Amino acid sequence: MKYFVNINGRDLEVEIVDRAGKLRVTINGEPADFSYDEVDSDGQVALVMDNRGYAVSVAGGRNDYHVTLAGHAYAVEIEDERERAAHAASRERNKGGGIVKAVMPGIVVELCVAEGDVVAEGESLLILEAMKMQNEIGAPSEGRVKRILCKAGEAVSAGAKLVELEALPE
Amino acid sequence: MFKRILIANRGEIALRVIRTAREQDIETVAVYSDADACALHTRLADFAVSLGGHLPSESYLDMDKILDAAAKTGAEAIHPGYGFLAENAVFAQRVKDAGLVWIGPPADAITQMGDKIVSRQLMQAANVPMVPGMTEPAPDAAAAKVAADEMGYPVMLKAAAGGGGKGIRIVHEASELEGAFKTASGEALAGFGDGRMYVERYLVNTRHIEIQVMFDNHGKGVHFGERECSIQRRHQKLVEECPSPVVSEELREAMGAAALRAGASVNYEGAGTVEFLVSGQEFFFLEMNTRLQVEHPVTEMVTGVDLVWEQLRVAAGQELGYVQDDVVMRGHSIEVRLNAEDPSNNFLPSIGTIGNLRIPGGPWVRFDSGIYTDMEVGLDYDPMLGKLIVWAPDRKRAIARMRRSLEELNIGGVRTSATAGLRVMNDEGFQKGEFHTQYLEAMDLTEPKSDLDKVVAAAAAMHRWKEAHRTALAPRDSERLGWIARARVGKSSHPHIAGSTAGFTRGGANS
Repeated sequence: MKYFVNINGRDLEVEIVDRAGKLRVTINGEPADFSYDEVDSDGQVALVMDNRGYAVSVAGGRNDYHVTLAGHAYAVEIEDERERAAHAASRERNKGGGIVKAVMPGIVVELCVAEGDVVAEGESLLILEAMKMQNEIGAPSEGRVKRILCKAGEAVSAGAKLVELEALPE
Repeated sequence: MFKRILIANRGEIALRVIRTAREQDIETVAVYSDADACALHTRLADFAVSLGGHLPSESYLDMDKILDAAAKTGAEAIHPGYGFLAENAVFAQRVKDAGLVWIGPPADAITQMGDKIVSRQLMQAANVPMVPGMTEPAPDAAAAKVAADEMGYPVMLKAAAGGGGKGIRIVHEASELEGAFKTASGEALAGFGDGRMYVERYLVNTRHIEIQVMFDNHGKGVHFGERECSIQRRHQKLVEECPSPVVSEELREAMGAAALRAGASVNYEGAGTVEFLVSGQEFFFLEMNTRLQVEHPVTEMVTGVDLVWEQLRVAAGQELGYVQDDVVMRGHSIEVRLNAEDPSNNFLPSIGTIGNLRIPGGPWVRFDSGIYTDMEVGLDYDPMLGKLIVWAPDRKRAIARMRRSLEELNIGGVRTSATAGLRVMNDEGFQKGEFHTQYLEAMDLTEPKSDLDKVVAAAAAMHRWKEAHRTALAPRDSERLGWIARARVGKSSHPHIAGSTAGFTRGGANS
C-alpha cells in the first residue's frame, strides 16, 4: 500500500508491502529499516530507525494524524492511492465551495457575512466564542455564501455546519 | 494551627494547596462542580462537598454554596487559590463575618489594590515609583513641554478623549514636541472634539518583573525576590523564571523595598505579588495581585520556601520568624505553563479528552497539574492544565533541563502550549536573556522544518496500516454476537475449573 503523507506542508511517500508476513517499507522510494512497536492502544509508539530510538505519540486516524515527537507537534495528512484520486476529484468538483464546520464547540457571537456575499480566502465568515476567546472563522477559499446554517447567539457543537460556500462562476 | 481548611478552587492550584496542607497535618475540604466529580482535587482531599452545576457561576463563584460547605464540614479557614473568588473583597469579608479565617489579605487591601486610582494614590504616598505621567491633561503645547521636560524623553502624547490609536505621538526629543502636539491635538480635536493631550513617559522594550512578598499579621514582611514574566502574549504569561536575567542585586533590593512599602501601605497580610514594568534599570509600579500567583513555584524552587506553607502559617496568626537577610536565592528556576491551546494556530483553544500522558521526571523537575488520563478538557474553565517547573544551578542548565523535560512530556487528546515553550527554550534571544513583553507575540510559532520528517511519516503510515489491518481482521458485528452468545452458553453450562482464580482477583484487595 502506498501512502501520500503531508507533514506541516511537506510531502513524503511511504510504501508498505506485506511479503509473507514481513513488512517492507520504503520512504520516498528508499528502503527504510526500522522497527515499529505500539506500546499501548492510546497511540504511544516505540520506533527505532537507524539505531536511533524515538518515543512517538500518534493521535487521530484515517486522513488526519497528529504526531508528537520530542516535544514538537506535527500535523500529518495521509492518503492512500485510492483516497488521493477520490479527494482530488472531489476538490475539483467543489472548487471554491463546500461547507465550513465548527472546529470546536462554542457560541456564534456574530455573523460577518450574509447569504449571497462574495468572500475572499481568509475573509471572516463569523466569530465563534470558545473558552472565553473570540475566534474569527475565515473562508477556506474564495466563493459565494450559499447558505448560512447557524444564527448569532447559537451554541454549536464541534463539527456543526456553519456556512455553505459555493464556487464562483468561472 | 488549623485543623481543617476548605479550598475554594479546582485544578492544579486546589491540588497544590491540598498537598502542602496534608504535609502540615491539616485536613482539607474540596468543593467540586458536577464537571469535576472525578477531578484529582475531589479525590485527594480529606473531604469533598458537591457544589453542583458546571458553570463557574453555579459552582466555584457561588459564595453561599462555598460558605455552606465550610459550615457543614467544620472548616476553620478558606484558601481561595487564584482566580474565581481569590480577589473578591466581598467574599473575603463574608468569610471573616462567618467567623472563619480568610487565607489571604484583609478585604480592605483587596479593595484598595483593585482600584486603579486609589492604588495609584497610595503608591505615590508610599514613594513607589510609577510610570511618570500627568494626572490632568495638558491644554496646549507649552504645558505639555513643561511636563515632558520634567519626566524625560521619549514621551508619549495621548489624546485625553482618544481611542483606536488616533491622536497618539511618540516624541523622542524636546525639539519635536511642539509639532507633534499640534498634529496629534488637531487629530484629536477633529476626531473626538477634544484637543487636550496627556503626556506620559514612553517606555521601550519593557519587561514584566514582579516581586513576591509575604506579610504576617504582626506588621512584619519580607520579599522573596523577583519573577521574570515577560514571555507573554495578550497579557497571558507563558514562561516565567527566577531570577530575572536583567535584575542586579541593587535593582532587586530597590524593587523589593518598594514592594514591601506597597504592601505595608495597605496593611497587607499573607502572600502577594507586586508587578512592575522594568525598562533598563528603572522600574515602575503596575499593580498588586492580592493572592498566590500561578508562577509562584519558580520562587519556591530558588528560595527553598513553600509559599503555601507560609500562607497557612501566617493566616493562623504565627509570626514570620525570619527576616529579609534569611531569604537566600540559589540557582535558577523556569516554569512553562501548559494551556490547552494550539500555538501553531494562533493559540486557538483546544478541547478533548486527555490521553497518552507521559510526565517528565528526573532531578529537579516538578509537574504541578490536575490532569489525568480520560479527563475531559472542555470550555467551562480556564484552559490551564498545569505547569512544568525545573531548577538548575544556573540559567543555562535550567534552560537545558526545561528543554529535555518538554521533549519528554506528552499530553495527548488536546494541543498544548508546551510546543511554544520548547520554541522559547530554543530561541537565541531568550537564551541570551534579551527579550521584552512583545517578544513572544513577534515569534514565529508555526512548527519548524524538521529532520525527523521520515520518522514522523513512518510512524503515521505504519499506524494507519496497522489500523486498517486490525479493522480488516476484526470480526463483523454479526459474527461477534454469535461468539458472545456461544460464550454465554458455555459459561452457564460448565462449572468453574478449579485453580483458575487469576481472573477473579480484580476488585479484590490488590486492585
